[in-house]
Amino acid sequence: MADNSTNPATNPATNQVQTTGHVWDDDLQEFNNPLPVWWTYTFYVTIVFALVYWVAYPSWPVGKGFMTGVSTITYKNAQGEDETWHWNTRSKLLLETQEAAAAQKPYYDKLAAMPYEQIAKDPDLSSFVVSAGKVVFAENCAACHQAGGQGVIGHFPNLTDDDWIYGGASEKINESITKGRRGYMPPYGEALSGADIDALANYVASLSGIKVDAAKVGKGKELFHSHVAACFYCHNDDAKGRKDIGAANLTDKVWLWANVPGAADDAAKVAAIRGVISSGLDKGVMPTWQGRLSEQQIKLLTVYVHELGGGK
Amino acid sequence: MSATNQAAAGQYDYEIIKKFSVMAIVWGVVGMFVGVYIASELAWPFLNFDSPYFSFGRFRPVHTGAVIFGFGGSALFATSYYVVQRTCQTRLFAPGLASFTFWGWQAVIVLAAVSYVMGYSQGREYAEMEWPIDLLILFVWVAYLVVYVGTLMQRKQAHIYVANWFYLSFILATALLHTFNNIAIPVNLFTLKSYSLFAGTQDAMTQWWYGHNAVGFFLTAAFLGMMYYFVPKHAGRPVYSYRLSIVHFWALSFMYMWVGTHHLHWTALPDWASTLGATFSIMLLLPSWGGMINGIMTLSGAWDKLRTDPIMRFMIVALSFYGMSTFEGPLMSLKDVNALSHYTDWTVGHVHSGALGWVAMISFGSLYHMMPRLWNTTMYSVKLINMHFWLATIGTLMYITAMWISGISQGLMWRAFDEFGNLQYSFVESVAAMHPFYAMRAIGGMFFLTGMLLMAYNMYQTIRQGVRAEVASARAAAATA
Repeated sequence: MADNSTNPATNPATNQVQTTGHVWDDDLQEFNNPLPVWWTYTFYVTIVFALVYWVAYPSWPVGKGFMTGVSTITYKNAQGEDETWHWNTRSKLLLETQEAAAAQKPYYDKLAAMPYEQIAKDPDLSSFVVSAGKVVFAENCAACHQAGGQGVIGHFPNLTDDDWIYGGASEKINESITKGRRGYMPPYGEALSGADIDALANYVASLSGIKVDAAKVGKGKELFHSHVAACFYCHNDDAKGRKDIGAANLTDKVWLWANVPGAADDAAKVAAIRGVISSGLDKGVMPTWQGRLSEQQIKLLTVYVHELGGGK
Repeated sequence: MSATNQAAAGQYDYEIIKKFSVMAIVWGVVGMFVGVYIASELAWPFLNFDSPYFSFGRFRPVHTGAVIFGFGGSALFATSYYVVQRTCQTRLFAPGLASFTFWGWQAVIVLAAVSYVMGYSQGREYAEMEWPIDLLILFVWVAYLVVYVGTLMQRKQAHIYVANWFYLSFILATALLHTFNNIAIPVNLFTLKSYSLFAGTQDAMTQWWYGHNAVGFFLTAAFLGMMYYFVPKHAGRPVYSYRLSIVHFWALSFMYMWVGTHHLHWTALPDWASTLGATFSIMLLLPSWGGMINGIMTLSGAWDKLRTDPIMRFMIVALSFYGMSTFEGPLMSLKDVNALSHYTDWTVGHVHSGALGWVAMISFGSLYHMMPRLWNTTMYSVKLINMHFWLATIGTLMYITAMWISGISQGLMWRAFDEFGNLQYSFVESVAAMHPFYAMRAIGGMFFLTGMLLMAYNMYQTIRQGVRAEVASARAAAATA
């Protein structure tokens, strides 16, 4: 049997810890053990911890104010003078933001001053751009263009291939981001017969080497360059498109709107092209980022996106 | 044994307890199933089926409502009515009102779940019910208080047993919390939509004053009441220390009310309120542990039973998880730890180590002890209880381990900077990194749910066996008469 002699609740005659003497529900009783000593002292330690904390940091409300605590935070105000406050989360945020911004300032200054073609030649600044651009891209662009910039067929252009609908020069990319873009193609299903659209689709498909119905290609080619369908107005005589208005190059085997890469066979590829000619497009909207992102951030993204796709 | 139970069945009002304990099991199955479903949605999003009715946002309060108020609440009603009658040696005061608490409470759970799926929510965590349901809760709760206090007042002995202090503090605190958290103005009398009387930071503070005290008084104090009856009763040993039970009861009740603001660190909350929330959380550690010490030390004379008695295992594991999560809570309430843990899955893991490990386990243990006694029989299968125990323990461990890893990784990924001072990861990268842990959490939940289904089957058989024996003995009595 355990030695209970040091326990004040022990009956010395029996060496048994005594109960309080109450009994409930036939057999429920309570021992009269004292508080465990370690429990009591650890409880006191937590109280002392709280008291120290209250002295150090803002704590009890008093009147219309509160006990501010003895610890302080110093940061630079808008005039560049040191300002000291009792510890508070707002000042802490200001201070940490200022410190972080100061550490990055040399890079941003250099980025703002340097022309696009030189940035790529500066390895240190390039690394910074990749590091900062990745996050800005992920938080703002990846929702549509996807994390790696590969886009989604039928919705969002791939930024990693070498094909630029509106031009791949840095200035053009900057313009796309700053002002946004709106792609439009009229629905020919309302203007042309089914046979004409089918002929056009066969012709357009033939430009990328897709096996088509040779009999229809001639008619399609004729329509393409005629003033009836007038495809060449936007896509040009050579069908290589016009970057100034975002009309696609139809000869480069890169597809955004017609899901040609996903089509099972040549007939399905022609059908995908036929669908776009018939229904037209009015969903090619890229929002404007002016005002939402700073000029610096847009420049950063321009360089980042330019690098992604090899630029032009 | 059987004879005393027969006598008890006549002596005490058991019908209401039977109803509540059956519903505790029903809501346990429903609530845990919905929990597994929404955990699976996070891992495999096709389960949303692009329908608002299946979305995480609507199912999540269905899950929390069904497990906290349906399962936990019904278990508390059942055990508190059982404990208060047996320790006061009296029948329930106002049995009609007690019956109203049953039907009213079940209506609350059903109406709340239906309204959430329809898209109605106050947007207050754990109190999403709109105002008509809040009013019904208020009536049910006042009736509960009247029944409970009335029963205590007609007790046959001078002293009130410790379990009753905890149950009563839970009833009083919940009344206070529910009322002030739900003060809202309906848009008009014929709409479910309402707006909170408080705005901005005050509203957030009221919400978390409620939210954390729902944890403190509903999920801690009340289940400590359950522990203080069923642990010593099942072990057949006196409570370890009467003095400790008094001191930790009052310390716990006093400290808990202050700590809600630790849910709002690093927000628009005033810094002084943040500090008070953190420091009172630290001071709450030992008062919380008082219950664990008393429970474990009570069991300490009966370690041998752990080998043979799975109900005892449920109780000891519940106390261990209780001790673990009441240590983790104060730790997470410190501002600098919170800067890492807040908004991450660590919080979700912490809640579930309390909810699965403590609340559900102590309820399982208590129900396994109480329900066969209500039907004057023994458990249909001890082997199934044992299987339930292992499924529940493994499921809980898988769940909280997955959430610790994913939560701490999230926290670290969100604050990681590269050598240029830029964020190293985008948010979506942290989401992608969580996928394996979300799957692991869902599987942990499936273990826990499977255990719950075994319990439901085992209880169904137990009740059937009890009812048959009762019918047989009634027939025998009729035959001899």
